[in-house]
Amino acid sequence: MNEVVRAKVKKIIFLLIAAVIFGVILFPPVVLFLTSIKTELDALSFPPKWIFKPTLENYTEIFEFSPFARYLLNSFIVASLNTGVVLVLGSFAAYSLARFRFKGADDIAFWILSVRMMPPVAAIIPIYIIMRNLRLLDTPWSLVITYLTFNLPFAVWMMRSFFREIPREIEESALVDGCSIFRSFRSIALPLAAPGLAATGILTFIFSWNEFLFALILTGSKAVTLPVGITGYMKETGINWGYMTAGGALALIPVIVFTILAQKHLVKGLTMGALK
Amino acid sequence: MELGQRVWLFFCLLKRKYMWLFFLAPTVAVLISIVIFPLVFSLSLSFHDWNIIRAGGWSWTGIGNYRTILFQDSYFRSSFKVTLLYLAGTVPLQFGLGLVVALILHRITKKIIGFLRTALIIPTTMTPVVVGMIWRLMYNPDLGMLNYFLTLFRFPPVNWTGMPGTALPSVMMADIWEWTPFMALILLAGLQSLPQEPFEAGLVDGASPWQTFRYITLPLLSPVMLVALLIRLMDSFKTFDLIFVLTQGGPGMSTEILNYYTYRYGFKFFHLGYASALSWLLLVVVTIISIILIRILHSRGIYAERA
Repeated sequence: MNEVVRAKVKKIIFLLIAAVIFGVILFPPVVLFLTSIKTELDALSFPPKWIFKPTLENYTEIFEFSPFARYLLNSFIVASLNTGVVLVLGSFAAYSLARFRFKGADDIAFWILSVRMMPPVAAIIPIYIIMRNLRLLDTPWSLVITYLTFNLPFAVWMMRSFFREIPREIEESALVDGCSIFRSFRSIALPLAAPGLAATGILTFIFSWNEFLFALILTGSKAVTLPVGITGYMKETGINWGYMTAGGALALIPVIVFTILAQKHLVKGLTMGALK
Repeated sequence: MELGQRVWLFFCLLKRKYMWLFFLAPTVAVLISIVIFPLVFSLSLSFHDWNIIRAGGWSWTGIGNYRTILFQDSYFRSSFKVTLLYLAGTVPLQFGLGLVVALILHRITKKIIGFLRTALIIPTTMTPVVVGMIWRLMYNPDLGMLNYFLTLFRFPPVNWTGMPGTALPSVMMADIWEWTPFMALILLAGLQSLPQEPFEAGLVDGASPWQTFRYITLPLLSPVMLVALLIRLMDSFKTFDLIFVLTQGGPGMSTEILNYYTYRYGFKFFHLGYASALSWLLLVVVTIISIILIRILHSRGIYAERA
């Protein structure tokens, strides 16, 4: 009897600790969201109001009085184009590294991984100069190209591990009657690895969506993306809390949706394949 | 065999032999042109003086920039110190807390772990700029939650990010909030992938929980721990968004880590030669860590086994 009680108490204590951990994780984003649905007066009151009349005025105002729609569109264009290019180029390279036996395949794979680890600040100076000379500054193209520096290595590495999970025999049986490797890639490997490729695409999209340093330096006005745009609500003269929190909350929506969609493969992606 | 058939077979074999090259070449070409070429460009720029907003081109200075950085630039020294403090104050804490969280979650029933894992992933995939904003809101001396809690318990309010003494710990706290769940997530995945037999054997032999942890869990988990630590260490050097939003490196230079210092030299002062030299120093440090990381991954076959 005593043992049973002790085990129960232990379990409850663990659950309580887990609840505290999740309180600590979730509290700050909840505060952001609550502030975003307060009127300016409520948002500025101290002590903070817990009970108030929610309003959507911040959300309508950022669309009306600031170029928020453009930030959103730019982010969307950059992230989707980049993801598209990454998936096409990356799946070919990943397939090559996973399926073909050639000298140096492992070395090339690890070289690609090391590219992913480069600090962006090391590349941003030359990339800025190159984009300036190509007259691509302040266009979505500069970001679509630049984001390949971290997303392409990531995608190759992650997709390689998905292609490796497909049993070789399935593909070899398809190769016997013809010699089109491309066809076996397209009609066997790609469909079988599709869930993994989708997860890779989702993470690539999130990384592009979140990127800040390159966007800050390579864009100025027309091509400003969300993360850079919403920092504009914080000025030297003061912070527009309502705009800032509403913009931040809207920026998080796609990220959270995608995170939940792809969560099965996220640990693998975030550790660059080291863990499932 | 007919001639036509032979030719076809020849091309077929040729194709099979070299197809990998056609598949791989575009990616390698892209990476060389957008990563390797720019880095070589910046290496050469780092041996020159060039201010992009002033007239005049590059002027050769040899190793002048590097000499100035390492031996004369007192700001570099202070920023180097801030970087070390930042790393020392975030990565070990994230690791320790992450390990505790992972061990606790590992003991909770499997049913809710899916939900808990999602909650752990959210700070990691969240837009870092928004993380900065959330903490700017929390730290605000006049209306922030943290000062509200302090006054609730009759403590004097603190000007969190506004004072040199508290600014760096404040940024570190936000960083710890952002990345501890990531650590926990990796370590939890590591724990779940451990073999069960050693634990059962320990149970049979009557090992205490501490002994089980010390002599079974710790050694088995150590490769995963090392990977988690190295990934975080490497990424910590690249912290930018959080500092940009929370403090812009200030007050004074109290939160200006090397990454931010390099950015400011390049894009606030426009000394691109000098900034390139700074960025190459950073690159060398990060590359050393990444080589260690890759060596471990390569030799232990963590990738190869599970892939």
